[in-house]
Amino acid sequence: MSDAPSDINPTIGAMLRSARDFLAHEHSLFRTLALQPVLIGRGQATFALTLSPAFAGSDGFIHGGLCTIVLDSIFGLTVFTAMEEVKPIATINLRTDYVSRAMPGARVRCAAICEAVDDDVAYVSGKLTLEESGGLIAVASGAFMIGTKGPMKGMRV
Amino acid sequence: MTAASPIAAWLGFSSQIAGEDRLYRLAFNETHIGNPAIRALHGGVIAAFLELAMQSELRANGHTPEATVNVTIDYVASSRAEDMTARVRVIRIGRRLAFLEAEGFQADGARLVAIARACLKLS
Repeated sequence: MSDAPSDINPTIGAMLRSARDFLAHEHSLFRTLALQPVLIGRGQATFALTLSPAFAGSDGFIHGGLCTIVLDSIFGLTVFTAMEEVKPIATINLRTDYVSRAMPGARVRCAAICEAVDDDVAYVSGKLTLEESGGLIAVASGAFMIGTKGPMKGMRV
Repeated sequence: MTAASPIAAWLGFSSQIAGEDRLYRLAFNETHIGNPAIRALHGGVIAAFLELAMQSELRANGHTPEATVNVTIDYVASSRAEDMTARVRVIRIGRRLAFLEAEGFQADGARLVAIARACLKLS
């Protein structure tokens, strides 16, 4: 990447920092996923994680459901990094292409880019890759609604 | 049918015969919460449940899903911290690919929350 990520809006940054501790320690699902930030910038985020055997399918490979859980989570966070003020968001839709299957215990990266924010809809694309080889596991794209009813996603009010 | 894989156990996944249809169920658990402030199910958890329901429907039809090619999901209404049920419709089962659609409901089947469609490779 030639350009360093531009700065996140300070209010959004403060919100993400306060959300981080809560999500890492008190949020049951995110504690299970144990997502580790690699890069967080304006409109982009990359996290690393180990695929837990708790999400294996009947064939022994990691079930695609874990991929959608991780992608939806990181996509949502990426939308926040692109926003100018703190508003609740919600996933409208998500399409995931499963390119190859991963084994439980594999180290992976989830990288997402917020491609555009058009009024109150944000468009995100991203992928899941093996950390060591860079081998592609899944590619995905999603749309998110900004300014939905209800309190902040992932935040305690 | 009870949970047969770690993901099925994690989701609290089960299936039952309801009239002529098969009904799939996600038994709500605190670990399924995405947004604790509004106590909604995580969108990815709903997608995982509907994908597993479509794979199970394929097996119930005597086919073996080898891999999922892709899944698309639309979240048409907000979800709540409660069980979800799913009905699966087979769009077409070909020689190498199968296309299915799953609808996820809450409020005892009164509230459509999400619709997913998947293309699965057959072994």
